[in-house]
Amino acid sequence: MIVARGLHKVYGRGLSATHALRGVSLTVQPGEFVAVMGRSGSGKSTLLHLLGLLDTPTSGEIHIEDTDVLKLSEEEKSKFRLERLGYVFQEYSLLGELTALENVYLPALSSTTGHRDYKERAARILDIVGLGERLGHYPSEASGGEQQRVTIARALVNQPRILFADEPTASLDVKSARVILELFRRLNKDLGQTIVMVTHEPEDQQYVDRVVWLKDGFIEREST
Amino acid sequence: MKNEAAKAFIGDLRVALFLAFKSITKGNRWVPILLVLVMSFSFVNVIFASSILAGVMTTMDEQLVNTVLSNVIISPQEDEYYIDRVSSLEDKIRQIPGVAGVSSRLIDNVFIEYQWKEKERPTDRGKSGTWRVVGINPQQEAGVTTIHSHMIEGGYLHGNDRDEIILGVEIAGGGRAQSASFLTLGGVRVGDKVRVTYSNGIQREYTVKGIFQVREMEEADCTAFVTWTEMVSVLGRQVFFDRASQILVKAQEGVDEDSLVRQLSSIGLKGEVRSWREYSGAMHSVVFTFRIIASLIGSIGLAVAAIVMFIVIYVAVVNKKREIGILRAIGIQRSSIIGSYLTQAVVYAVFGVVFGWLMVRFLLQPYFVRYPLDLPIGLVSLAVQPLIVGSSTLGLIGSAILAGFIPAWFIMKQSIIRTIWGQ
Repeated sequence: MIVARGLHKVYGRGLSATHALRGVSLTVQPGEFVAVMGRSGSGKSTLLHLLGLLDTPTSGEIHIEDTDVLKLSEEEKSKFRLERLGYVFQEYSLLGELTALENVYLPALSSTTGHRDYKERAARILDIVGLGERLGHYPSEASGGEQQRVTIARALVNQPRILFADEPTASLDVKSARVILELFRRLNKDLGQTIVMVTHEPEDQQYVDRVVWLKDGFIEREST
Repeated sequence: MKNEAAKAFIGDLRVALFLAFKSITKGNRWVPILLVLVMSFSFVNVIFASSILAGVMTTMDEQLVNTVLSNVIISPQEDEYYIDRVSSLEDKIRQIPGVAGVSSRLIDNVFIEYQWKEKERPTDRGKSGTWRVVGINPQQEAGVTTIHSHMIEGGYLHGNDRDEIILGVEIAGGGRAQSASFLTLGGVRVGDKVRVTYSNGIQREYTVKGIFQVREMEEADCTAFVTWTEMVSVLGRQVFFDRASQILVKAQEGVDEDSLVRQLSSIGLKGEVRSWREYSGAMHSVVFTFRIIASLIGSIGLAVAAIVMFIVIYVAVVNKKREIGILRAIGIQRSSIIGSYLTQAVVYAVFGVVFGWLMVRFLLQPYFVRYPLDLPIGLVSLAVQPLIVGSSTLGLIGSAILAGFIPAWFIMKQSIIRTIWGQ
């Protein structure tokens, strides 16, 4: 479960200060699939970065599974991200020198949870996302949709409690985007994966349990 | 807790090595090639500059040993002018293991004149000067120094020679001498007569039997030699029959000079026993100066290598900024990421050192052995010393570690989001 209270984020100082978030409070229940929507500059990506421990709020609190994550050191945050959170980024975010399988098992290699079967697990997850036949392919040999599916597999390899996705379909064609969203829904429904996704596509609403609308750094409304 | 930390360390190390291996083997193939080339040539540069200077020092040392001092010098005790009972001492010394030759010398500072008959007044300077004349047993001396092999005109002394002298080129003068004409006898040739006035006032006329030149080793080239018998007869047979001004001891190849000094000191001779290094004094400071210059050149070479390595790795790291941001975002520890760049830098440095060493060992060294540099000081080859190789290797790897660490650490200090955005 994620509990965020009174999140503020200000970029810059003095006259040039920009308020990206102005006191956002949000709770995401375990197993929930939440979309954060809003216009450009509404603060949705900033919110995702704060919840995902990629950035630090100017003020406010974030608790993830009873851990006050803002009190963690940089190393502890890193470990927390590795073992409990998963990320899917807006643009292709794979390492070009690694095959699909290597990209996926990389976080497992670093994990201290002692998984010795990381290669098998990575292959199994790639199979789940429909790339079981493309384990040895490099990112340059894959389409945009396939690369995003590898990214999703990588995000899932350490069995995270929460999966964050920052406009994961923004750079994909309609067909590929639908495959990704179907995959998210399947992960959510079948495996109970908690997902927080930022999107600006209105049609994505049909895949999620709840939509949080942001406007000028505030939560404007929520819909289910 | 300890177990957890050990697991985390192993995990980080595993990721660092994995990322480094993949980056080297699957990344842009020109990056490793260029980096290894840069490191190789930097290594060769450092080794070459230091080894040539070491070669100069070695040549100077060898010349000093071979033509002036030999390996060990026995000189009179502090308050005496001569060493007594030389012949029995020579026998004792020859029996010491590791001794290749012994030569006793009688030395006198003399006044030498050339064409003195042409002087208008006896007080005219004419062609004359004060030099050192050494009385030697030519055969024994040939077993200790190499003067006999440096004759550029005429021949070397024989044991029975009484009226003959050999002159260093800086005494004889002429076109081959380095000194100004007025500091020499102005061009003595073999067969010419010179007049020598000894410190006891005795004058002798000698025929110049030979002229020798030991390249730039001016100390040797400013010396004249007569036979021991001749010198004894001049200085006084009664007094100098069994005395010497110094005894030179030549060590066999590979014999430790310090241990030879210890052995010689232990036979109870009445004299000061010193190795040539101890004796060389001024030459030592020249060699020391060369060492400092060699270290400076080596340090500059290392600094250049470090800067080049830093630039290349910095460019590589900056180009991978987004990837680094992604790695941090998915929870890969900073230490793993920095470790991967450190590993890459060390791998490039190690390969650079290996290739550089192969170039030195199988290309430069054989070339300079075959075609040594013909410098005024003598024939100079590369003297690749283990210390130079060791310090250059450590220096280069150390530089590479810094060059790999600093750019990666610098990027780690930025926020993850800025790194992902490539800012």
